[in-house]
Amino acid sequence: MAAEKPRIGVFVCHCGLNIAGVIDIKEVTEYAKTLPDVVYTKDNRYTCADPGQDEIRKAIKEHNLNRVVVAACSPRMHEPTFRKTSADAGLNPYFFEMANIREFSSWCHPSTPKEATEKAKQLIKMAIAKARLLQPLKEIEVPVTSKALVIGGGIAGINSALDLAEMGFKVYLLEKTESIGGHMAQLDKTFPTLDCSICIEGPKMVDVGRHPNIEIISYADLISVSGFVGNFKAKIKKNPRYVIQENCTGCGECKEVCPIEYPNDWDMQMGVRKAISVPFEQAVPLVYTINLDHCIECYKCMDACGARQAISFGQEPEEIELEVGTIIVATGFDIYLPYDDPLYGYGRYDNVITALEFERLILAAGPTGGKVIRGSDGKKPHTIAFIQCVGSRNLKKYEYCSGFCCMYALKNAILLKEKYKDEVEVSILYMDMRTHFKGYEEFYRRARDLGITFIRGRVSHVLEEAETKDLVVRAEDMTLGQPIELPAEMVVLCTAAIPKPDAGDMARILNISRGTDGFFMESHPKLKPIDTPADGVFVAGACQAPKDIPYSVSQGSGAAARAATILSKEKWKIEPIVAVVDPERCRNTNVKCGICAERCPYGAIEALEKQPARVVTAMCHGCGTCVAECPADAITQKHFTDEQIFAQVRAALEDDPAGKILGFLCNWCCYAGADLAGTSRFEYPPLIRPIRVMCSGRVDRDFVLEAFRLGAGMVLVGACHLPYDCHYISGNWKMKARMDALAPMLQKLGLSPQRFRVEYVSAAEGLKFAEVMKEMAAQLEELGPEQIKAENAKLKPILDRMLSKKQQ
Amino acid sequence: MTTSEKSSNPKFLLFLGCAIPYRVSSYEIATRKVLGKLGIELVEMPEYNCCGLPIDPINHEMMLVLAARNLCMAEQRGLNIVALCPGCAGTLRKVNKKLKEDKELRGKINGYFKDTEIEFKGSIEVKHLVQLLAEDVGIDKIKGAVKRRLAGLRVAEHEGCHVTRPAEGVGFDDPEDPQILRELIEATGAKYVEYTDRTACCGAPIVGVNDKITLQLAREKLVHVKEAGAQALITVCPFCHMTFDTNQPRIERMFNETFKIPILHYPQLLGLAMGFPSEELALKELRVDPTAVVSQMLEKREDN
Amino acid sequence: MAGNRSGPSLKPSGKDTSKTLEIPSATNQSTQPPMPLQGVGGHLSERSAGDSMPTVSSPIQAHEFDLHFKYEIAKMHGGEKLKQCFQCGTCTSDCPVARFSDSYRPRQIIRMAQLGLKKRVLSSDTLWLCASCFTCTDRCPQDVEVASVIRILRNAAAEQGLLPSIFKELGSNILETGIAYRIPELRLKKREQIGLPPLPKGNAKAVVGLAKAVGFLKTLGRRGEP
Repeated sequence: MAAEKPRIGVFVCHCGLNIAGVIDIKEVTEYAKTLPDVVYTKDNRYTCADPGQDEIRKAIKEHNLNRVVVAACSPRMHEPTFRKTSADAGLNPYFFEMANIREFSSWCHPSTPKEATEKAKQLIKMAIAKARLLQPLKEIEVPVTSKALVIGGGIAGINSALDLAEMGFKVYLLEKTESIGGHMAQLDKTFPTLDCSICIEGPKMVDVGRHPNIEIISYADLISVSGFVGNFKAKIKKNPRYVIQENCTGCGECKEVCPIEYPNDWDMQMGVRKAISVPFEQAVPLVYTINLDHCIECYKCMDACGARQAISFGQEPEEIELEVGTIIVATGFDIYLPYDDPLYGYGRYDNVITALEFERLILAAGPTGGKVIRGSDGKKPHTIAFIQCVGSRNLKKYEYCSGFCCMYALKNAILLKEKYKDEVEVSILYMDMRTHFKGYEEFYRRARDLGITFIRGRVSHVLEEAETKDLVVRAEDMTLGQPIELPAEMVVLCTAAIPKPDAGDMARILNISRGTDGFFMESHPKLKPIDTPADGVFVAGACQAPKDIPYSVSQGSGAAARAATILSKEKWKIEPIVAVVDPERCRNTNVKCGICAERCPYGAIEALEKQPARVVTAMCHGCGTCVAECPADAITQKHFTDEQIFAQVRAALEDDPAGKILGFLCNWCCYAGADLAGTSRFEYPPLIRPIRVMCSGRVDRDFVLEAFRLGAGMVLVGACHLPYDCHYISGNWKMKARMDALAPMLQKLGLSPQRFRVEYVSAAEGLKFAEVMKEMAAQLEELGPEQIKAENAKLKPILDRMLSKKQQ
Repeated sequence: MTTSEKSSNPKFLLFLGCAIPYRVSSYEIATRKVLGKLGIELVEMPEYNCCGLPIDPINHEMMLVLAARNLCMAEQRGLNIVALCPGCAGTLRKVNKKLKEDKELRGKINGYFKDTEIEFKGSIEVKHLVQLLAEDVGIDKIKGAVKRRLAGLRVAEHEGCHVTRPAEGVGFDDPEDPQILRELIEATGAKYVEYTDRTACCGAPIVGVNDKITLQLAREKLVHVKEAGAQALITVCPFCHMTFDTNQPRIERMFNETFKIPILHYPQLLGLAMGFPSEELALKELRVDPTAVVSQMLEKREDN
Repeated sequence: MAGNRSGPSLKPSGKDTSKTLEIPSATNQSTQPPMPLQGVGGHLSERSAGDSMPTVSSPIQAHEFDLHFKYEIAKMHGGEKLKQCFQCGTCTSDCPVARFSDSYRPRQIIRMAQLGLKKRVLSSDTLWLCASCFTCTDRCPQDVEVASVIRILRNAAAEQGLLPSIFKELGSNILETGIAYRIPELRLKKREQIGLPPLPKGNAKAVVGLAKAVGFLKTLGRRGEP
């Protein structure tokens, strides 16, 4: 197909006066005519409008065009538009290329129309150079397994599962512990409605258990996940309960006769459970489990079970594999237990507990039957102090705010007052009262009305009186401006919500990332809070960040909707801008290489021993990092091949290279920031000739070397900010390492350091881009053409040699 | 880094500071006795100046140059510094760390030393006596040197502020729950007693600005020590010692209370355990008479 | 100034930098050089620093704010995190001095610095009540070096001549002998008697040279060597 001679049509847009007001359209169009392989040129007032598009379609048919170049606005604006136009006319949409002469020329160089026009010409030349080498590409279609895996059976996971099941999809709900329900099932009442938590969650749990489309896999761990969107394979290990799930009726007769009790996690070790038991009465599935660490194997339970024969001491772990199309992670959170901080006395003083322990005390079904009593003497406390922000908002512990503690402190305080009325006095010591959602501020008012004391001041120290085991809380009451020592017979610590301890493992298994706070990272904090960079994997609930029940429920439903957009299709389309390994060139067949597999941010490359590396196409996101990292130049990125980029480099530096800045700008951040500079009309000198790459990770060091070999004045590599902004997770880090190694080498060879620059510009930093351009132009001028040419002359023979090894 | 080797006696440059030679020589006397027996060689500085802490509130840079001057003198001799006063130790330690890490600041300070023979290079370490005992002598050696275990004695400690705080600058032990001085005390066989607010400051630094606050602070500490049933209070700082010892009668008068709690420097306690006679440990210099407690301690001792 | 009724008369100095804060203290009337603790004379002043009303007891007027002050402090060693303080009160909560003082509140001092109430905070006598115990610095959840910010403010106050007399005495001793206290000859001789090695000498000349270079001499209101 590529052997066919290119017949390029060039369409230059006036864009009203946006382009035509600065750039001489006629001159540019005439110039395009003179370039080899250009068989047709046209200028339009508004190329993107219907008439303009019509012209393109007509020209393709009438003039047998097999490549289309539109010189107009930014490809980030209209590339999809013109691709479709080409496709409509029967041309493969990937035969289309755009020259950005608006954001990158007319808008940012208004005072220098001559230079802007020159730049426009060269941008078109570069686009044509690439267009000649374009290949037809077809969107990749992968089949979709219309089943979903929801990991985590808390309130978010439950909602995801129910929504998906109602939509008609089969759902596997994987739960690590014996029962679904999560932390919500441990709570007494929920704010601000004071609904009984298990009363509202219980029915949902039962619905899940009953739903024909949901299969609960409980007491099981996720071992590994392979595959890609639409086609995941999840390996799961079911842990032995020593009870056969199918035979167990949940009658509980075994529990009655079991002689062994041990402290239970469900009650935060304040209550007990039998060696054979369910974690709580409303467990779903209602299947008993034997804890072999405590079981004395007296077999009384087997006797009691009798004919049902549900107990099986010989049960082994079972590994199963599930095939699903999407995965939803809803693994929830943990709470911080401040054993490590002597200032609060947790773990040392009997009457200092955490808020979750308090929930278990005040809950009617809890270990004390709903009586709030002290650990030291079993008596009801007359004064209780709630301490906020224990571990949260503290740079020495957890920097973030845990979001729901203000509200649950209010809730628990209100419950205490409503239960014990005048017999208890409750104080809350806080820094801020964060009551931001529907009904929350009113809840705060209700608390004040009940006579709960609010003390604004962060507690620094809790002390215990040796005999009474009463506590003294030290804080400064800031509104009074006095340090106080508040007496309290019981202290409740509202501790930070933290990621689950196995979050790191989960992230690794699913190939998703975690933020600095340890919670799972979403694709975009504002516009894509449920997607993850791994296609087909979504997050919901507190595992993404601490959140309350309504928010978790909403995210659960949201994740189900996101998952359904994939599951509802028979085939899922993947953009074909992917990497491909040339098995002939790959070194891994002979020596152990695997660099591409190691460097790929998505783990999308397989490099098995003695075999050529292979890109799992559906997992490839098209960053091009592997292409640049491959030491054998064995990998190509479709639509951004080395040849295409070299062609652009050569086209850019054909005339007066020493006076130019060659730029490699990453699509998502730097290119966008440069676009913004134009949109905002920030003017800068027209020296840059930008080349668009999807990710700065794509920028091979050979591109930089070639640029200098051809005599470029300066080279700029523009990337997303470190550490987390890269659209492809870590392509920018790979680029940085590469250029950090390259720069000193070039300097040793005599290159002035300012001539090779790596810059980090976000899509919002239009001004910064313009400033960088001005700075570089000034530096270029200061160096002067003589020095640049001299340095280049010195470099050229060395670079010639280095690049001759590269097969063209 | 330094020339003091572990194989021969470790050598440390002794930084006495200003208060000890002036008013609290008992601390120095007992320390020299005890360290001598434990195999630490103390080298005298030929010349020194204030560590700078007293005038830090007036001019921070003056403190930096005064401290740096002392550090340079130690560097010239290739010896680590041991300071008996935590104020000195903490200050010298913090400045040492800061100048090692902050190139710009180091350049500035060395700029002031331009016309002298000294230059800060950052080649030595500074320790307080407690750290030296824990690290360069070691608990086991101390236990081995104890000839009479002071088993009958209940003792509380006031470590003060600057041995452990600020945690980042000093980096020794856990300021909220310090254990090392406790271990050193228990090594003598004495029974360690905890008391409320044991890590709280004694208030000495604001004497001369508001004595009343200091005395109230000190009094409260003595109340808690008494409540906890301690027979003596151990200090490792000359200022803390003066607050609790020299001023104890004044506190008793002011608040109309009786404490009669002897305040011993840790080396005095250790010295007694190691078998030194009371006369050699300058116990006479203590204002609150320790005789009763000491004789009781010796009566109930367990000889090794 | 309307509403300015803080306790003992604090006369911020004008041009004469040798004037000090008139804080009567137990020691500045003694004939001996100031010593940290000793019942010289045995009496306590009737009013010690910090017994006055809190310095924020009167309404704050528009012209008192200098919102750039915090940036200046943030440029200095130890003051970098001043802007991070979110006024939680942890520093004041367990401050040993605040518990026994009616008016010393480190949090308020940081607050005044944040708001740039320069005159109030620099001329405040409670500024001198910090015992530098560093409990606040260790516990601050936003890594603000509270004690260091107070030190920076003290340095600024001292530059304006606002400092308790005891510091002048200590500074003076250092300039004259190299160390903070004047040790009588008797004491030095006694060392010999009890078998202690002689006390290392101070080097006043070197110290004065440094004092000149860093501006310490100027702060103490001296022109040259003693």
